[in-house]
Amino acid sequence: MLNTLVTGLATGALYAIVAMVFNIMFSTSKVLSLTTGHTAMLGGVFGAWMITGLGLTWWLALPMTLLAGAVFGWLTETIAIRRVLASGDDHLWVLSTLALGTIVQHLMALWWGTEPKPFPRLITQDFSAGPWDQKYWLPMALAAAVATGLALFYKRTMLGRVFTAVSEDPFAARARGIAVERVRALSFAMAGALGALAGFAAGQLTYAFFALGMWLTLSGFIALAAGGLGSNLGALVGGVLLGLLSAFGTYFFGAEYQQTVSVGILLLVLLVKPAGLFGKSVVRSV
Amino acid sequence: MTTRTSMPDQVGRSTVASAGASGKVRKLVTRAAPLLSLALPFLVTNQYQLHVLTLIGIYWILVAGLNLVVGYAGQLSVGHVGLLAIGAYTLVILNGRLGVDPLLAMAIAGAIGGLCGLVLGLPSLRLPGFYFAMVTLAFSLIVTELLVAQNRWTGGGAGMSAPLFGRPFETPQGFYFLVAGVGLVVTWLAWNISRGMRGRALIALRDSEVAATAVGIPVFRLKLVVFSFSGVTAGIAGALFASLQSYITPEAFLFELGMFFFICIIIGGRGNIIGPFLGTALLTMLPEIAAPLAKMGNLLYGLLLLAVVLTVPKGFGSLISNYVERRRGRRSAPPLVPDVKRLAAAIHQPETLT
Repeated sequence: MLNTLVTGLATGALYAIVAMVFNIMFSTSKVLSLTTGHTAMLGGVFGAWMITGLGLTWWLALPMTLLAGAVFGWLTETIAIRRVLASGDDHLWVLSTLALGTIVQHLMALWWGTEPKPFPRLITQDFSAGPWDQKYWLPMALAAAVATGLALFYKRTMLGRVFTAVSEDPFAARARGIAVERVRALSFAMAGALGALAGFAAGQLTYAFFALGMWLTLSGFIALAAGGLGSNLGALVGGVLLGLLSAFGTYFFGAEYQQTVSVGILLLVLLVKPAGLFGKSVVRSV
Repeated sequence: MTTRTSMPDQVGRSTVASAGASGKVRKLVTRAAPLLSLALPFLVTNQYQLHVLTLIGIYWILVAGLNLVVGYAGQLSVGHVGLLAIGAYTLVILNGRLGVDPLLAMAIAGAIGGLCGLVLGLPSLRLPGFYFAMVTLAFSLIVTELLVAQNRWTGGGAGMSAPLFGRPFETPQGFYFLVAGVGLVVTWLAWNISRGMRGRALIALRDSEVAATAVGIPVFRLKLVVFSFSGVTAGIAGALFASLQSYITPEAFLFELGMFFFICIIIGGRGNIIGPFLGTALLTMLPEIAAPLAKMGNLLYGLLLLAVVLTVPKGFGSLISNYVERRRGRRSAPPLVPDVKRLAAAIHQPETLT
């Protein structure tokens, strides 16, 4: 039972971080990129490759993984977002990010292989620690740190305020001399790095697996939909709730119903409270 | 033939002198295409090619329905592979466990597919675009998971063998004719829906849901009808798919296949029928023609989708229809000559009135 609780909290923390990555990109671009989960997948795969394949220590592999994630985020913006937003066609970004996600996923399948591979231990620790194992508390600690860090970032730093300004009203922000496009690209790079960090920290839990991206995108989105789009607190609560519910669903109904449980939560939330727990209800534009 | 086809042209479009020519071409195409599709089995040289043609036909039955949802109504459903799986397992379970005749089972599969489409559409079609896409994605994931989990009925991950259809459809050629027949009927239905008032209403709601509501289009009901129709075609396609594959496992209904259908439509172009058909045919044949590409099929589809979205967002079909429109426009629409006298009178009138 304790194991189930800890697993739920840890996977929930991962979902929460992915949901926050969604939020970072959404705030500046109003785009929900389908490549969000793939950033975490890339973090896991690159981390495992650099530590196991290249034999680097983790404190050397970590910044390089973050850099790879940031580059991927930036590429997402340049390739799949910028032109599509400029063309003004509604929801075309769903297609472009879906295409990019598929491309990345299958490139990884060709290069890394289709088998999940174990992620190396980051801190020397005995495997007998049970619920206190690092694979559980690393993602949890990271989720808490990211949530606090983002709150401070948006409130206290200049760049954070610029992000908020672009998010509130891109035209007004531009009128005040903010390079909106550059801010958007920066937010995508930041989101990519953060996603890669999440994949890196949760690697021991999820393994380095090429097909993880789509599932994390969906789970992160469910967490976001439950918590409320745009709210990082909501993302944290939604992610942890989703993780716990699917862990206990697995415990009571068996592992074969894991996805059904989390998707059931999504449908329920969207039916009952489409704006989510902490979301602002959106006024329909006419 | 010529007199019969040219009559309505003379009556309906007597004012537009040369539109009859393109109308004739269109009539020729709409008459020749079914004939060609029925003649194809006699033109191919081996069984494998016939298998690919049948597969194209089956995919098209699904895509023709999905096209109304994605191409006309603009609802981004990426999860129709779930409905395909439901149709396939309906056939296999009804025939294998209960001994129902495959043709009847196929009809039931269509009904169940439609019902599942209705049940899925009721909550999800109210949601805005991206949310709807995620719900359909999630739907296809649970269907695959439940197929593995409910192994008492579905055989779990090991799968089940699917029956052949009864006489005269038990040979590969006979089966092809069955598929072609169903495909033609579905195409005809989709064609009629898309050309009539409903098709116009669908395009209106795709382009602006608010504006469509404002002119009195029952947006939600229309979406639901079209989505249920696509469920019926997906169910039927699933039954045929199972019979063609002769053995099905949940592995055959992965999310990638759902995305494949979606890509066929996007590449073919939204808002027409011929484009998605060509897209389906070409994309199905692509890995079959170039064997080394088969391993990278999904990567290739991803690249193709990205390229199309970035360069021709309306799809290749729009290039064709644009070309046709431009030619027809140049020929038919006479330049407007303003009636200067009446204009002048109209301009001066209000002053005297007020």
